Amino acid sequence: MITRRTFLSAAAASAAALSLGACAPRASSSDAVIRYWGMGAADADKDLKVIGAFNATKAGSGITLDVNQVPSNGVADMSQIITAVRGGTAPDVWQMDRFNAVQNASIGLLEPIGGLIEKYEDSSVDEFTRQWVQFAVDELTYDGQLYGLPINTDARGIMYNENLLRQAGIDLDMFDPEQHVLTWDEIREVSRKLTTTDSRGNFETLGFVPWDGEGWPYTWAFGLGAQLYSNETAAVTLDSPQWRSVFELYADWAEEFPYAKADAFFATYQPPNSPPSQTAVFSERLAMATTGPFSIRSNEKYAPKLPLKFTWLPVGAEGDDTYSWSGGASLVVPKGAKMTRNLWEFMKFYTGYEGQSILQPLLGDLPTNLKTIQAGHYNPKAELFRQMLPTSTSRPPLPVGSVAWDTLQRSRSSVIIGSATPEQVIANNQLSVAPKMALFEGYQMPATYGQNSVIPS
Amino acid sequence: MTATGLTARAPSGAAPPDEVEKDATASPPQRRRHRLSRSDRRDLALGLKYISPWLIGILVFVVYPVGYSIYLSFTRYSGMGAPTWVGVGNYVTAFADPLVGKAAGNTLFFALIAVPLGLVVALTLALAMNQNVREVAWYRTIFYAPSLIPAFAMSFIFIVFLNPQFGAFNQVLNLFGESNVNLLGDPTGVKIAIILMAQLGAGNAALIFLAGLRNVPRTVYEAARVDGAGPMRQFLSITLPLLTPVLLFNLITGVSGALQVFTEAYIVTNGTGDPDAGALFYMMYLYKNAFGFAELGYASALAVLLFLAGLAMALLIFWCSRRFVNYDVEAS
Repeated sequence: MITRRTFLSAAAASAAALSLGACAPRASSSDAVIRYWGMGAADADKDLKVIGAFNATKAGSGITLDVNQVPSNGVADMSQIITAVRGGTAPDVWQMDRFNAVQNASIGLLEPIGGLIEKYEDSSVDEFTRQWVQFAVDELTYDGQLYGLPINTDARGIMYNENLLRQAGIDLDMFDPEQHVLTWDEIREVSRKLTTTDSRGNFETLGFVPWDGEGWPYTWAFGLGAQLYSNETAAVTLDSPQWRSVFELYADWAEEFPYAKADAFFATYQPPNSPPSQTAVFSERLAMATTGPFSIRSNEKYAPKLPLKFTWLPVGAEGDDTYSWSGGASLVVPKGAKMTRNLWEFMKFYTGYEGQSILQPLLGDLPTNLKTIQAGHYNPKAELFRQMLPTSTSRPPLPVGSVAWDTLQRSRSSVIIGSATPEQVIANNQLSVAPKMALFEGYQMPATYGQNSVIPS
Repeated sequence: MTATGLTARAPSGAAPPDEVEKDATASPPQRRRHRLSRSDRRDLALGLKYISPWLIGILVFVVYPVGYSIYLSFTRYSGMGAPTWVGVGNYVTAFADPLVGKAAGNTLFFALIAVPLGLVVALTLALAMNQNVREVAWYRTIFYAPSLIPAFAMSFIFIVFLNPQFGAFNQVLNLFGESNVNLLGDPTGVKIAIILMAQLGAGNAALIFLAGLRNVPRTVYEAARVDGAGPMRQFLSITLPLLTPVLLFNLITGVSGALQVFTEAYIVTNGTGDPDAGALFYMMYLYKNAFGFAELGYASALAVLLFLAGLAMALLIFWCSRRFVNYDVEAS
């Protein structure tokens, strides 16, 4: 018979064993097993193709990739990876949005990989990274150290529906990227012609809305010369006249195409959390949208018969330089991972010519590996975006990137609703971001940041 | 309960109650320490063993995290490396941060409307559930059912309900010739939508009200009816006063829940809190700072401030409750 004392002792012992078991660090894996957090469940098959090719190489034979699809979501929370690193269960290599690299490096979440390059490549970091587009390398550089290797990239442009433009009598040559770059005045005029309302004043169709899709403040900031941070003064410059002009652009547009009506339009035809097939572009309600090569795959999948084409982002005046910005993913090494040759070989393969040549045609966007670009191993429909890369750049690599993004996005919302003026929001933005950046006194972005990149054709 | 607070049994050697009372009146009260008998100690050890799962749970999952959060609130901490002591810096930043004011304002707006409205809705549901009809069990199920819908599912239902083109809300507006509006696209409208969403969870409070209603003695109503009181008079003079202890409970839990509103706003706004930070509630801003910006120290300071605000409100409600809560009539 079980006595009360026995029962209590057994219960306490079981609880202690369970607690200790849960807290125990995971058994260290052998060097031949690489734990990898991949690009996401939807693209797991593409990951596996690259891994299969890696295993077929001499360097990759005998190496097992323990794959978990835990995608990183841009400015979303980092609690998963922080918890994993703190708990000793982090992957050896993680596919991460490059935008988060500097912030994550600044908090000590990532391992610098310069040592791996010097150890296994017999090359300096600068020399070795010349294989990739410069702005993608810059985005992975914090405090002079490299924290990952870039995978894919993209650029922003205008997607338009030829049907709708033709029906409205618009000269399609204006939209031909080979012949012309639209100006803001032209796109406004076209938008007027394409916008229709019903008897109650609701928008039935819309031409263009600069705050829709990829119409982030950064998108227009690059065209209007607005910089978030100055290396010369080591200071945040969110209250500059250029930033004011970014928010004036939104305010001006919202005055003619009122926010409430446009918002009702978007809530109707592409409500929040709607499936990717339900967009105002696919239902032929919206004629032009700001987007990137990542739209190509969904266009082919959900609206293969629509004549959707791409052109440059609008410029201030005829003859102004074209501009864009680019994001993308990278492979990084979380803190505490074993920095082995096998890990390095996998990273090098995945992000190098072989890996990107397999991956990019499947993804629809662009490679960052220059040899892969030169070989044309990407979706040919993304060619215009490839042409955008020389004058494109990444978002500024700052340790307060998420705060800055969040602040700018909220300011855009305030301006288009009309609750704050452009003057007010730029003052608030400076107040919100500058104190956080002040913790990184004298911070310098890579010297090459913002300069044109050399892209082979 | 004895001075030890551990057992109802009088410890051996303790003075009889009348003597204690005499001593207390003869001289200033003195704290008397009773030595625990062997039996008391054995009982204490056994009692502690029995409650040890709870004790361990509360120490590990409540006391330690709360204590650590308070410590972190005085540091700069990203979740990695060692926290850096910054004194009251995070609190100073919080008071100067315009978004803290905005988020607190949104949360108070929500609490001031959602909580009283929730009490009215819950009480109405409880009254409906308390009707003396044969199908009452069905009514109770139907009225309670919306409370079982998870918050995220409810949020999606509301997104469809408020759709400017197809949603029922705009269909009604259209009947009056109004143009379509997107309530979720307006800084005030989105808060109102979330307040309305919260009312669909009133079933839980309604069940507590129902238990209170079932405890009101029938004889009181019968006496009132004999005296000629109508249904409204009975409600105002009997039901409501006797429900005040339950009302107080629902009020405090309602305020506590309202201060932590998060899920619906997070889903409806895709985690942004927009438009124009109109749905940026305090917990959302706290969450963003902790896990989006890796500022766990600052987020901890925000959490401490929220705790203090919640505590102050609970104390205020308790203080006010002396004026309106009626404990005079025991449940039958």
